[in-house]
Amino acid sequence: METVLQFIAILLLVLGTFLSLVGLIGFIRLPDVYTRLHATGKVSVFGLVFLLIAASILTPLTVWKGILLIFFVLLASPAVSHSIASAAYKAGVPLADAKRDDLKSKLSRGKGKDV
Amino acid sequence: MQTILDTVIWVILALHLLMVIVAAWNAWRGENSVMRLVGLDIASTLTTAVLVIISIIRQNSLFLDVAIVTTALGYLSTVALAKFISDQRVF
Amino acid sequence: MRIIPSAIVLFFIYLALTGNVQPANLVLGALVALGISLLIPRNGPAQVPFSRIPRFLWAALRYVFVVIWDVVLGGLMTARIVLSPKMPLKPGIIAIPSGSKTELGTAMSAHAITLSPGELVIEMDSDGMMYTHCLDVDATAAESANAQAKRQALLSSMFEFE
Repeated sequence: METVLQFIAILLLVLGTFLSLVGLIGFIRLPDVYTRLHATGKVSVFGLVFLLIAASILTPLTVWKGILLIFFVLLASPAVSHSIASAAYKAGVPLADAKRDDLKSKLSRGKGKDV
Repeated sequence: MQTILDTVIWVILALHLLMVIVAAWNAWRGENSVMRLVGLDIASTLTTAVLVIISIIRQNSLFLDVAIVTTALGYLSTVALAKFISDQRVF
Repeated sequence: MRIIPSAIVLFFIYLALTGNVQPANLVLGALVALGISLLIPRNGPAQVPFSRIPRFLWAALRYVFVVIWDVVLGGLMTARIVLSPKMPLKPGIIAIPSGSKTELGTAMSAHAITLSPGELVIEMDSDGMMYTHCLDVDATAAESANAQAKRQALLSSMFEFE
């Protein structure tokens, strides 16, 4: 039982770190702010949550704190992504090679001089 | 299995510290302020991950309390800075 | 009576943080939860009548699994895009109508959309239109109406009565 739990924890740790790494690589490779935010969300949703599940398995004291932190992260990280994207759009950061922009006619954008 | 677990945890800790450094470098040398803000956000998330790994190593749930506070402060400061960038004022 | 649901949630958060269930700590936790929920503004979250709670919980469980499935699919798609050498990006902003009459329903839909990597709500207007930035415009435009209808059906059986 102990060995099985440790095996699952190792799997989760490796998977979480790999997905964090993918998120960071995407953060460096992708062209503009909006596409980079997708990669950032990946780090917090997959990397952190998998690490927290592994921590809850490995140290029995931390189960409830781990679950609380998972709920908090899942609740708050979309709000952060949305606030950064909204701020970037209002400040006038351009989209890299956008195929479609349904929002352009809706808002009067800033000039983007202070960004 | 215990030795494999120990090795994996230390390797993962080193990788996460490297990733924090890369994210902080991006926050320092960003192209514009929104890009720097994204770098700061990813760095604070990775700092929380480092705290979680330390709590596994020390078998101590005290570090998770610190992680909760770090996450809350990181998210709040990111939202406040984003609001400052878009409106030029915080509230 | 309006403070009871938030007080219960805060009480469980207190127990999870302190992690002991001695009677003195339970009493202190109940007092702290009641005190904090008195400070929360009046127009709080939607109230669920007691007779609807089993149906609410069943719909909430299904909603959680739908969202987790979306998140896993989106994560795999984003990882494929990021790791492939040529990066087949087709970014763009699409308007997705949420189809919800209340603000809470629109906010929950926007949360679920933003949580899955590959889609990111940039702006919402008062009609419940969500302007979503996505990595692959064609795929999202093809399946967004379907996915949103599924989410909206579950959300309306959770929160919008009659």
